[in-house]
Amino acid sequence: MRHSDYEPVESVFDGKNPPKLRVAFRELVVYREVVWSFAVRGISVRYKQSALGVGWAVLQPLAFLAVFILFFGRVVKVSGGGASYAAFAISALVPWQFISSGISFGANALVNDADILRKVYFPREAPIFGAVLSIIPDLGIGLLLVLLATPFTGAHLTWTLIFIPLLCLILLIIPLAASLPLGAMNVYYRDFRYLLPFALQLGLFASPVAYPVTRISPGLRPWYALINPAVGPLEGFRRVLAVGTTPDWGLLGISSASALVALLIGYKWFKSLEREFADVV
Amino acid sequence: MPYAVKFEDVSKQFRKGGAQYEHFGTRVLSAPRRSLKRLRGQQEPSNGKLALDRVSFEVPEGEAFALVGPNGAGKSTALRLVSRISQPTGGILRVKGRVGALIEVGSGMHFELTGRENIWLYGSIIGLSRADIRSRFDAIIEFSELGDAIDTQVKYYSTGMQLRLGFSVASYLQPDIFVVDEALAVGDVNFQAKCVDRMAGLVKEGTTLIFVSHQLAAMEALCTSGVMIDQGRVAIEGSAKEVLTHYIATMESRRDIVDLANNDGRVRIVSATCHAADGSESNVFTAEEPMEIRLRFESDEPIQEPHVVIGITDGRPGGLIEISMLDDASAPATVGREFEVRCLIESLPLRPRIYEIWCDVIGQDGYGTLMRWMEVAGFRIDASIGEGKKAIVNAATAGAVLVNYQWDVRT
Repeated sequence: MRHSDYEPVESVFDGKNPPKLRVAFRELVVYREVVWSFAVRGISVRYKQSALGVGWAVLQPLAFLAVFILFFGRVVKVSGGGASYAAFAISALVPWQFISSGISFGANALVNDADILRKVYFPREAPIFGAVLSIIPDLGIGLLLVLLATPFTGAHLTWTLIFIPLLCLILLIIPLAASLPLGAMNVYYRDFRYLLPFALQLGLFASPVAYPVTRISPGLRPWYALINPAVGPLEGFRRVLAVGTTPDWGLLGISSASALVALLIGYKWFKSLEREFADVV
Repeated sequence: MPYAVKFEDVSKQFRKGGAQYEHFGTRVLSAPRRSLKRLRGQQEPSNGKLALDRVSFEVPEGEAFALVGPNGAGKSTALRLVSRISQPTGGILRVKGRVGALIEVGSGMHFELTGRENIWLYGSIIGLSRADIRSRFDAIIEFSELGDAIDTQVKYYSTGMQLRLGFSVASYLQPDIFVVDEALAVGDVNFQAKCVDRMAGLVKEGTTLIFVSHQLAAMEALCTSGVMIDQGRVAIEGSAKEVLTHYIATMESRRDIVDLANNDGRVRIVSATCHAADGSESNVFTAEEPMEIRLRFESDEPIQEPHVVIGITDGRPGGLIEISMLDDASAPATVGREFEVRCLIESLPLRPRIYEIWCDVIGQDGYGTLMRWMEVAGFRIDASIGEGKKAIVNAATAGAVLVNYQWDVRT
């Protein structure tokens, strides 16, 4: 039974002005439990559906690592820059895997949940954010794997490990920022789904995962970190998890700023389109 | 009367092509041509479907509101606007308070998760906080009657079980405005009755209910006012009785209300109509008037001794009248690929209300179903309603059979 002084809030919809960013963000906070539910659902469904379960999170980076060691370590002979190539590769592979799965799950979230979208209202970014957040346990398992493998990879670990949470936080912005516009495009254009894996493959080679950032000339590095915001955190992870030094604060700063601006622009664009999603998807 | 929802000249035009994807490649390739057109001042044609065309009506606060109209009239679009799933393209829509919507069964459920996990997911998607869900968890499970099945994955649920789970969660949301669309059609009769009770209870507690259903009897029993939408426009707005009467009167064929296509037995019903004494088709009768039900069937081969059974109900559990060839042994010895069955009922001692006609066909031996039990038509008994204090409510909800009686009070 309601209180007698309860006065329901009136909402007015005229389909004209898209919500302001501040209003949209406040609404997202109100609906935070929906984001949380999508994340929890993502995790439990993924581990329930795959026979490997949690093993998937371990196997993926290991498989990549094997290919990398064989190809770049032996055949092409890329230097580990002060650490063994194994330590060098896996320390960036694990965070890259997070970006890559985060984007592919995030960008497909709206299409996968089209059924709910058509029948229930919630801020449309909720499934996207939930999907990205649901990859966090994989990142945790992957990082744990890197730490446990230290005796075998010969990585040099020091006190700089305390920067891992900060790096994770910055890393998280990237799939969030990328998934919003990609997710919106996915709603409108059917063939976007098929473009995405291809784009992510290119992204792997456009990011300093297989090669060290030092391969880029020093003058170009800030631009590299600006255009590809994955550069700063990936290089940071590599320094912390393989070499044992502090992250390159310059590159990290540029990348974080670039990722944040991309997130804000993407979010604004997403919100201006979102009201059509249920009619189109 | 304060309103809970107000449509002011609301229009909704869907994009051209509707819910269809375009290929990104095509879009990119056609971009130069489109921008050239825009430079020349030519507008891109937006001749999508106009689902709602300047619709205006009010839903009074704290009442049950009936939204009726033929299929494709724009009812569901209106509900989707109210529940914020989609946005109007013209006009202003005002909604007071939190909306809980139950639009179609199984929406918001994830099939890989168990019923229990889905309560958390679905509950939070429709706006319950975790604390709310925790405090209502047992009540939700109890209402859903799922028992031990609550720990089974939803992919093993029947549609009825999904509906029970969905309705239970949605009805415990305690929204200011509760929107229910068609959902009740799949539940079993007992659960339907329970849902109607629950909705009536919510209205008593002050919830505004917007109800779309093909079960007119349930709508008439629950709703006080309503609107009929036809081809995207308001056809009539007023009391639920007026709206429903108008709805039935304007439907030339009951096929708009009852879906006869959905039958795939050996015998299939083609049409079901009601006729007055002079043979003219009608859907409104008085209690004294005779009514003839005409049922036309078809089948792929001649049938031996089909037993036709007709049931009449006011939409609540338990039939009121059953007329059966299994009782009176009047089944024809054999019929061809097409046949018509007429049944003349001399008088209908029933209260003024909307009734449904159901029908099935049983095989030669009095066993084995040739056509499943399904709603085939409907009619309305028209009569004046008494002046008593609860005459209107009773006319809609109390026992349906009318008898001749005389009070005699002695002191």
